[in-house]
Amino acid sequence: MINVLSYFCIGLGIVFWFWGTFPMLSKRSILFKLHSLSVADTLGSMSIIFGLLLKIPNEWSLLVLALLSLAVWNTVLGYVLAYCSSSGRNDE
Amino acid sequence: MCWHIVLAVEEMMNDSYVYFIVALLPLAAFMLTIQINPYNALVIRGILGAIAALVYAVLGAADVALTEALVGTMLAITLYAVAVRSSLVMRLGVLEDGLLKAETQAESGDPSAQLIADLRTIANKYHLRLELIPYADPKSLDQALLEKEIHVTCIARSHHDTHDRSLHKSEGRPYSITTRIRRLYDILQTDLSSPTTSLTYVTAPDSGEKH
Amino acid sequence: MNLVLIAMILALLIPIYGAWQDDDIWQKMLAFASIATKTSVMILVVSVLRDDWMIGVVGVIILSVGNAGLMLLAQLIKRMNDS
Repeated sequence: MINVLSYFCIGLGIVFWFWGTFPMLSKRSILFKLHSLSVADTLGSMSIIFGLLLKIPNEWSLLVLALLSLAVWNTVLGYVLAYCSSSGRNDE
Repeated sequence: MCWHIVLAVEEMMNDSYVYFIVALLPLAAFMLTIQINPYNALVIRGILGAIAALVYAVLGAADVALTEALVGTMLAITLYAVAVRSSLVMRLGVLEDGLLKAETQAESGDPSAQLIADLRTIANKYHLRLELIPYADPKSLDQALLEKEIHVTCIARSHHDTHDRSLHKSEGRPYSITTRIRRLYDILQTDLSSPTTSLTYVTAPDSGEKH
Repeated sequence: MNLVLIAMILALLIPIYGAWQDDDIWQKMLAFASIATKTSVMILVVSVLRDDWMIGVVGVIILSVGNAGLMLLAQLIKRMNDS
């Protein structure tokens, strides 16, 4: 049961990855790509790591640390990139 | 028989992802070599570093992966970004009351603002950064050019034709651009097709500096 | 688990291609951020797959510190564009 759930989480994360990365190849604006990429990357990666956590619970400290740093850093990074790219665009 | 094939396939599948991951490394390295813009190359170097850390970790060298990520990607890219930013620069000396004022007001119809915009376009084409450095009078501007503080000077003629009689042949060209670097002279002569500027090349004393 | 890793490699190829075909520097930075996250998650998956604690620690450190370098680079590029 737990095994099925962990595979489901990992599969869901990979689906999120693909779903968030495909807009990168389109010709939309950079902020749209940034939004979809950061949301889908963070959620997908967290889902994958949660799946791994279910699979091997004795490495929980490491994986929880990964989850936390992923959630915090990726959000901050998304904001920083959006701020930098949009202000660079306005000056040109 | 059938069981054997399944076993063989499973054996092959067992670590086939290692080959795929290792194949990403030359791909990223090739991408890095074909970049022209130095800043783009820096970003691609970051991608190469991330992939290299992945490859090292998958092959079991955890310490090498950590070193690659921390030193090879983070530290090296930051230092190179600073180095590229401070070396790929074209320092243009201008007079405080002349061109700089036109630049800050940025009127599109103004010829001197137009000239600065043209120079900026040319500099961007060669991935250079144009930096305007104001000087108080034409004398200190020439002095700074000869002392290699700046690469190029740009003066509107009305300011300095009382000082300099030797440039009479370029009547009707209100701007005069002087550079001390041969390569910049060639670039400006090719690309700056403005009829309002005259271009001169001077050799600074002790021209041991290579550019 | 092998199929999971191969699917991850395929997902990793998309931002690499995106960084290749587009000349805009922010597009490349975006691809870099995506690749950095994806590679460190892949390192974590490999560590769990092999039950190797050491590789896992490296993956977490890369995940948390690599992003800091990315932000530093983004600020530098922004300063460069501004001036």
